[in-house]
Amino acid sequence: MNKSFTNMQTLESNKKPNLEHQVDENSGNLPDFTTDAYKDAYSRINAIVIEGEQEAYDNYISIASLLPKDSEELTKLAKMELKHKRGFIACGKNLSVEADMVFAKEFFSKLHGNFQTALENENLTTCLLIQAILIEAFAISAYHVYIRVADPFAKKITQGVVNDEYLHLNYGEKWLKENLHTCKNELIAANKANLPLIKKMLDQVADDAAILSMDKEELMEEFMIAYQDALLEMGLDNREIARMAMAAIV
Amino acid sequence: MFGLIGHSTSFADAKRKASILGFDHIAEGDLDVWCMAPPQLVENVEVKSAVGVSIEGSYIDSCFVPEMLSRFKTARRKVLNAMELAQKKGINITALGGFTSIIFENFNLLQHKQIRNTSLEWERFTTGNTHTAWVICRQLEINAPKVGIDIKKSSVAVVGATGDIGSAVCRWLTKKTGIGELLMVARQQEPLIALQKELNGGEIKTLNEALPLADIVVWVASMPKTMEIDISRLKRPCLMIDGGYPKNLDEKFKGNDIHILKGGIVKFFNDIGWNMMELAEMENPQREMFACFAEAMILEFEKCHTNFSWGRNNITLEKMEFIGAASEKHGFSAIGLDKHINPLPV
Repeated sequence: MNKSFTNMQTLESNKKPNLEHQVDENSGNLPDFTTDAYKDAYSRINAIVIEGEQEAYDNYISIASLLPKDSEELTKLAKMELKHKRGFIACGKNLSVEADMVFAKEFFSKLHGNFQTALENENLTTCLLIQAILIEAFAISAYHVYIRVADPFAKKITQGVVNDEYLHLNYGEKWLKENLHTCKNELIAANKANLPLIKKMLDQVADDAAILSMDKEELMEEFMIAYQDALLEMGLDNREIARMAMAAIV
Repeated sequence: MFGLIGHSTSFADAKRKASILGFDHIAEGDLDVWCMAPPQLVENVEVKSAVGVSIEGSYIDSCFVPEMLSRFKTARRKVLNAMELAQKKGINITALGGFTSIIFENFNLLQHKQIRNTSLEWERFTTGNTHTAWVICRQLEINAPKVGIDIKKSSVAVVGATGDIGSAVCRWLTKKTGIGELLMVARQQEPLIALQKELNGGEIKTLNEALPLADIVVWVASMPKTMEIDISRLKRPCLMIDGGYPKNLDEKFKGNDIHILKGGIVKFFNDIGWNMMELAEMENPQREMFACFAEAMILEFEKCHTNFSWGRNNITLEKMEFIGAASEKHGFSAIGLDKHINPLPV
């Protein structure tokens, strides 16, 4: 190491990631949380998040039935989702918004159906891909974008949630990585069947998200980054990932 | 590990590149698809320097294309996401190439330290501008005499004089090269006056005033495509060093005794065995590269893991000397006017 230059003009860096101190690029440009338009859009987005956390709880409990040896860990992960659900219900209350749960159930119905079919057929790989990878990557990306434009109360709750969701993603990545040699074909097939659903779901809420100042292009890019990272972590190569991931955006 | 963050020169080129690399799905996408595409680590490479130091590095394509320049938020995301990827891969020192360092500087990305759950560590990144400035100066010193220009008596116009590279070039030419006269051209007057004061010399000129007076013109600001220049007013011989990005001077200045040199490009002593520079449209892609990229390699060869070139107007003569000496030691040389005669030692 050349000492004389090592310390030259080197700016301070935080070694620890710290979402609390995130520079808020939009702090001067946040949406008005009190308008009817905002609340109307929030009633659907908030419902999706609440329903998503409930389904995640159910799904992890279901996955535990296929993976009894991991039952304890999966139950722990599942319980976190219920905690998140409570947090997001509080976010809605804080803005005096009633979540449109009928809309949210319908929103998840296709993905829910695919998960249930996979569960009945004991297709563990498909179950894990849908819940622990696709939905978690979708949640992580949406939460990251939301944090930048959320009201202060929701921002704090979402920052706590997003760190937990990485644990869930890690669980799925780890299992699929260890079993990639036997589950790759099922994984690719499950990706093909379910990734386009994520894209459609995103399209479906794009207008509402825009009212919350969440840009569709940014949401999609964040999702692609989280999903690509997960596939890379599982041991897929760049070309395989490109082929799988890009199916969502073309 | 060193890293290079690059991008394609155009959207059409990006699609062609993606197709070659097997990213078929993205290759077929329209510009909106590319706006959503995450950065890609495209290639890993091992390089051995002229003195036998071995290093490893990665090329990251930011998936930015110049057509996105008008989309401020997209451009910003492309650069920050590519930087985050480089850091997550544990790369010690990564150079921001092409438009990425320009976007970083102009869009003031320093305030965006937190990318998702990664806090960007600036000391892992360099603009590579110190090496670029040094290479441009060496290109001037080596090539001017070859076209019959006496450097000691020459008038040198630096267009974009107050920028990071431009001010460094002015500093070096004044203090180290010993030129006849320095003509400084830039849009803003205030920093020009400050630079003149710092250098204790140099004439402030408009572009139209400077061009007919200059034996040598160093361009470190890109020329607007619409700009028209009457080449009959230029001195002959005239050496033009195209140090801007993108490089488009040869379209503008075709004429006898006008010599145009691609500025800020270096040649390695050996074939590197990578594919990425073919995509950056280098003439000899196995050896040639932007000097800013080479800076990351040099810093890794030297195990000098720091944001060596960072911010604006921080490039000192001492730093230029350091990077220049290390550049030569490890086997880089500045490309010259006629690359087919002899590789130019620097």
